[in-house]
Amino acid sequence: MATLFSLSLAAPRMVASLPDSTKSSTVKAAYQPWKRVIPVGCKRIVAVKASPDSISEKVEQSIKEAQEACSDDPASGECVAAWDEVEELSAAASHARDRQNDNDPLENYCKDNPETDECKTYDN
Amino acid sequence: MAVSTVYTTQSLNSTCSISTPAKTHLGFHQKQVVFYRRTSKKGSSSGSGSGSGSGSCVITCSAGDSQTVVIGLAADSGCGKSTFMRRLTSVFGGAAEPPKGGNPDSNTLISDMTTVICLDDYHSLDRTGRKEKGVTALDPRANDFDLMYEQVKAIKNGVAVDKPIYNHVTGLLDPPELIKPPKILVIEGLHPMFDERVRDLLDFSIYLDISNEVKFAWKIQRDMAERGHSLESIKASIEARKPDFDAYIDPQKKYADAVIEVLPTQLIPDDNEGKVLRVRLIMKEGVKNFSPVYLFDEGSTISWIPCGRKLTCSYPGIKFHYAPDSYFGNEVSILEMDGQFDRLDELIYVESHLSNISTKFYGEVTQQMLKHADFPGSNNGTGLFQTIVGLKIRDLYEQITSSKTAAPLEATKA
Repeated sequence: MATLFSLSLAAPRMVASLPDSTKSSTVKAAYQPWKRVIPVGCKRIVAVKASPDSISEKVEQSIKEAQEACSDDPASGECVAAWDEVEELSAAASHARDRQNDNDPLENYCKDNPETDECKTYDN
Repeated sequence: MAVSTVYTTQSLNSTCSISTPAKTHLGFHQKQVVFYRRTSKKGSSSGSGSGSGSGSCVITCSAGDSQTVVIGLAADSGCGKSTFMRRLTSVFGGAAEPPKGGNPDSNTLISDMTTVICLDDYHSLDRTGRKEKGVTALDPRANDFDLMYEQVKAIKNGVAVDKPIYNHVTGLLDPPELIKPPKILVIEGLHPMFDERVRDLLDFSIYLDISNEVKFAWKIQRDMAERGHSLESIKASIEARKPDFDAYIDPQKKYADAVIEVLPTQLIPDDNEGKVLRVRLIMKEGVKNFSPVYLFDEGSTISWIPCGRKLTCSYPGIKFHYAPDSYFGNEVSILEMDGQFDRLDELIYVESHLSNISTKFYGEVTQQMLKHADFPGSNNGTGLFQTIVGLKIRDLYEQITSSKTAAPLEATKA
């Protein structure tokens, strides 16, 4: 079964027409070089740590939600769970800020490569 | 990667071991090859030396690797667990880092000797699940204690496990990561001592008990830099979580072997800044491989102000107190410090008067505190007692591992 992946990325010139396959969905793409067609089933996973700003926005939003949830009934489970979420996100935001402060590129490089010229230390 | 341990006993003149292929979690076969040979002690006749030893020989051998030492650390969110972890791993040498090449939002820290697991990874409900049910993360219903027990037990017995990851940023449960058994496993989180089975697996347990005023002050410090947070929201957050905290987390402190209690200072009347702290190290008596720290004379009650002729301190100074006491029905010794360190020589002076701190050389506590002078609490009792507890854990680890090498000899003599 020819996969969507191999067809569209390897040979963009061809119109993506698949042999009959009952299970996979067909994607018919016209030749558009300015547009990369990412077919169904092809995942590009980029491992990136969340930036502190995105977490800060989440914190802000969660506080608003918690205040709304608690305006109806301060003792309800929803209110308590909402404030717990605020606490969790605040902790994550604070850790992210600490990590950012620790990120010295030279230190990070030297941790992995202590024998290079830039990283040698002489203790006399 | 195979680690083989060979136990020999000279007295029986035999080497024993069991050849049982043990299957690990990953399907590898761990073979312990053991040679068993019994020679007769009747050496008088040289020719016919056939072993006709009467009586049965019962040999018991352990079929596993040396066991992992498991430490439990309980504290509420925002109470200094991460700082404690960094101090603890530093005592053993090396910095603990997240596993390379894995999920960047992993909560696990790995160094040469230690692996730190965050118990949030055992949440059974993710953030949306908890919101739907209206439960907090503090509630036991949000945590899978069966899985926690099985995996900690497996790691303790030398079997690697696939531990789930709870992503604090997205609030979802991510695909699992592989955890290989380290020499020391630290489980930190809200419920390490909640479940009885997990509690029995712990070799040592610590609880960080922060009083309400101090907790409020620390959270203000942490959160005021965030947009969206205000004094009211911080206060509301603490108060909303308080019922669950009091019901589920706080009761764990009676099971802990060491409790670090942080209170507002008594040296400054009407202090509401919360900068100077009174810290109490409550150590349970009778814990295996752990001997409490004491001041001058074990078991007596001592009040000590080091500032005077030999040492000059600035306001408000330092005050120590040591006494035996009873804590939730257990015999404990309490070492208390109120005030802060301003200078290096105050720290070394205090260290030289404390006993049973399990240092390997004079000034080790001071050196560790200086190494991390930028950590919060480095100038007061929190940093001092965390460092001392770290050294006690190192001592406990060394005692356990040296007793393990002696144990097989005992078994074969029987």
